Amino acid sequence: MKTWLNKGEHWVWYSAAAAAASVVLVFGLLLMIAFRGLSHFWPHAVYEFQIQPTPSAQIQLVQGEIHNTRMRETRDPENPGFVLREPQILIKTGNRDLYSFDFRWVDQAHIVGQTWNKAQGISVIERYASGNMYGYIQSFKNNQLELTERDQVFKAINAAIREGDKIRSKIRHLEKSVIGGINHDLQTLRYDQRKLEMRDRLTPAIEAEFEAKRQAMHDQFGVLQLQLDGYYKELRALGTVTVRVGDDRDVEVNVSQFVRFWQPNEMHLGNKLSSFFSSVGSFLTDDPRESNTEGGVFPAIVGTLTMVIMMTLFVMPMGVIAAIYMREYAKEGKLLRLIRISINNLAGVPSIVFGIFGLGFFVYVLGYSVDQMFYSHALPNPTFGTPGLLWASLTMALLTLPVVIVATDEGLSRIPRALREGGLALGATKAEVIMRIVLPMTTPAIMTGLILAVARAAGEVAPLMLVGVVKLVTELPVNANAPFIHLDQKFMHLGFHIYDVGFQSPNVEAAQPLVYATSLLLVVLIVSLNLAAIVIRNRLREKYKSLDN
Amino acid sequence: MSNNTVKVAMDRDNRGLALSDEKMAIQVKDWNLYYGKSQALKNVTMDLPENRVTAFIGPSGCGKSTLLRCFNRMNDLIDIVSVDGKMLLHGQDMYAKELDVAEIRRRIGMVFQKPNPFPKSIYENVAYGLRLQGVNDKKTLDETVEWALKGAGLWNEAKDRLHENALGMSGGQQQRLCIARAIAIQPEVLLLDEPTSALDPISTLAIEELIFELKKDFTILIVTHNMQQAARVSDYTAFMYMGELVEYTDTDSLFTNPQVKRTEDYITGRYG
Repeated sequence: MKTWLNKGEHWVWYSAAAAAASVVLVFGLLLMIAFRGLSHFWPHAVYEFQIQPTPSAQIQLVQGEIHNTRMRETRDPENPGFVLREPQILIKTGNRDLYSFDFRWVDQAHIVGQTWNKAQGISVIERYASGNMYGYIQSFKNNQLELTERDQVFKAINAAIREGDKIRSKIRHLEKSVIGGINHDLQTLRYDQRKLEMRDRLTPAIEAEFEAKRQAMHDQFGVLQLQLDGYYKELRALGTVTVRVGDDRDVEVNVSQFVRFWQPNEMHLGNKLSSFFSSVGSFLTDDPRESNTEGGVFPAIVGTLTMVIMMTLFVMPMGVIAAIYMREYAKEGKLLRLIRISINNLAGVPSIVFGIFGLGFFVYVLGYSVDQMFYSHALPNPTFGTPGLLWASLTMALLTLPVVIVATDEGLSRIPRALREGGLALGATKAEVIMRIVLPMTTPAIMTGLILAVARAAGEVAPLMLVGVVKLVTELPVNANAPFIHLDQKFMHLGFHIYDVGFQSPNVEAAQPLVYATSLLLVVLIVSLNLAAIVIRNRLREKYKSLDN
Repeated sequence: MSNNTVKVAMDRDNRGLALSDEKMAIQVKDWNLYYGKSQALKNVTMDLPENRVTAFIGPSGCGKSTLLRCFNRMNDLIDIVSVDGKMLLHGQDMYAKELDVAEIRRRIGMVFQKPNPFPKSIYENVAYGLRLQGVNDKKTLDETVEWALKGAGLWNEAKDRLHENALGMSGGQQQRLCIARAIAIQPEVLLLDEPTSALDPISTLAIEELIFELKKDFTILIVTHNMQQAARVSDYTAFMYMGELVEYTDTDSLFTNPQVKRTEDYITGRYG
C-alpha cells in the first residue's frame, strides 16, 4: 500500500476521476438539452381521457398529449403529520381559445379506470393563433363545396393550406417590400422637406411639390391597401373546417388559421420522422408567434449572426493592430507593462459593465452626436441615439478586445527572432517583415483569439439587453432595402430569446420546450462557428508545424 | 568534386596571396561598438578584399559575430547598441544618416547560424527578396530561382519539389536554401555567421564546397568556431580576442607562421 502511494498512483486516479466527471457533466448537459429540445418537435401520441373529478360528477372527455408526471403531496386530513402522495399527470390539452389554458394537471385517480386510450382518428392542428388544437376533423366547407368524407376532407384542407401559403407569401411581399418601401420613401421625403426647412429654403412652390409627391404615395398606398384587403378576403374564403373537440362539441375553424395538421396516432416511424424534420425546419425559418412562445426563431438567428459578424469586423483589426504595436513597436518598459496588465484585467470586467459603458458612451454620447450632426432632420426621433446593431457590435467588440489582443500578442512573441532577421537581411523593412512573414505565421494564434471572442459574444446576453437587443422585431437588420444592413436597427438575439421565452412569458408550460430547443440551437450555433474556426486554424498550423524545432 | 580536390585547389589558390595586392570591398576604421556601457569591439581597423573569403576566428565572446553583424547593420535592431568609427562599402559610408538601411542589406546578404527558411515553398523562399524589390514577372523569377538554387548547389535536389514547404527539407538543405535566398538578390558581399555549426559533416562539406564556388562572384565573410574550416575555405583570416583584432593576414601565414603569441596559443589549442 505504501509503495503504491509513493508511486503516486492515487493522484493518477484522482485526475482521471476529475476528468471523467467533467466529461460526464458536459455530455450530460448537452444530452439533456438536446433531448428536451428535440422532443418538442416529435409528433407525440394523443390520448383520450375520461375524467371524473368526484364520484357523482359527470364524466368529462379530454384529448391531449401527456407532458409530465408528478406526485402531489397533501396533508392527510385523518392522520395529522402524514402526507398523502398522489400521482398526477400533466396533459397538454391545447384548444386555448376554448378552455383558456392549454395545460392541465389531472389526478390520475380521477381518470376513469385510471387508464387512457389513444384517441382514434384525432388530428393535431397547428394554428397561427391560440396554439395547437386537438380534435376530430368532421367536414370541410367553402363557397363551392361541402365535404364530409375523411380522405376528401384532408385532401381539400391540404390544398387550402397550400393555397393559403401562396396568398400569405404575396401578403408578406406586399407588406414588407412594397408597403415597407413606400414607408421608407415617405420618411425620406419628410426628411428631405425638413432638411430644406432647416436651411430656410422651403418655398411654397417646393412645399406644394412635396405635398403632391406625398399625395401620390398616399394614393399608391391606398391602392395597395385595397389589394391587401383583397388578399385577406381571399384567405378567409379558403374554407372552414368543423372540428369535434372534448365532449362532442363542434367548433368551426377557418382554414387560414391552419399552419399544418397531422394524425399522430396513425403515423408510422417514417411519417413521424418527416413531421419531426419539417417541425425543426419551420422552427429555424419561421417568425415567432404568440409572444415568442410559438413559431420559429429565424429573426433571432439572423440577429445573432449579424451581430457576431459585425463584432468580428470591428474587433479583429483593432485587436491585431494593437497587439502588433505593443509587441513590435512599443518600447518595453513600465508603461507597456502597465498597459498589458490593464488589458488582461479588462478581460475580467463583468460584461454588464461593458453594457453600461456601451449605453452611456456609444448610445448617449456618440449616438447623440451622430444624430446632431447627420440626422438632425429626423429629430426628435433618434436614429443612432438609441440602442441598435452598431452599438451592440461595438460594445461586444470592446468586450472581446482583450482576448484578441492577448492571443495575438502571444502569437507574435512566439515567432522566432531568426525569421525576422532572415527577412531583414534580405533588405525588407520592418513593416514588410511584419506583413509578409510575421503576420501570416501568427494567423493560427489570431484565429484562436477569434474563436474565443466569437464564443463569448454569441453567448453574452446581459450587455446586449442595454445596447440593442429586443424581444421582438418586425424588420430584420439585414434586408432588401438599401443599404441592406441597418446598423441603427434593434435586433433579436438567441440568448435573450431564451431569457424572454423562459422567464417573461405568460405561458410557462408551453415555453419550456422552446427554451430547451433555443438553448440547443445556440449551443449548436456557437459550436459550429468554433469548429469552422478550429478547422481553419489547424490547417494553418499544419502549414507552419515544423517551425518550432 | 571530392573533398581532396577541393583542398588541393584551395591550397594552391591560397599560396602567395597578400593583402596589399587586393582590391578592397569593405574598409573599417577605428570601429567601436558598445552594448550599453560595456565595449564589445575596440578600435577595429581592417580592409576586406573583394572576391575573397575572409574568415573570422576567435574564442566565444570575442566579438567576431558582433563585427559581422555590423556589416549589414543588424545591430541596429538592438536598442542598447551604439557604434562609432567608419565603415565604407566601396568607399561609401555604410552608416551615413541619409542611407537606406534596407539598401545596405540588399547589397550585403547574410546567412545565419541556424537555418531560418520562411514557412513558404522553396520557390517563394528564394523569390522573396526579388518580390520585395517589386519583381513579379514570372519568367524573371523562374530564371533567378533556378540560377540561385544552382548557385547554392541545391537545384538537383529541389527542382522537383519547388512548390513544397521549405520546412520539409533537411537542415543542410535548409541552410543551402538560405544561401540561395541570399544570393538571389545578387548582393556584393555575403556574410556567413557560423553557417555549418548546426549541420552534420556531410552537409558541412557541401557548404564548404559551395563557398569555394561562390567566391568567384561574391565577397565572402565567414565567422567560424572551427579552425580547420577556416584553414580549408578562407583566403584571409582574422583572429579576434576580447573585442580586438589581434592578427589579420593571409590564411597560410596565419596558420603556419603566426606573428602574435596569442594567435599561436589559440590555433595550437592552448586556450579558446
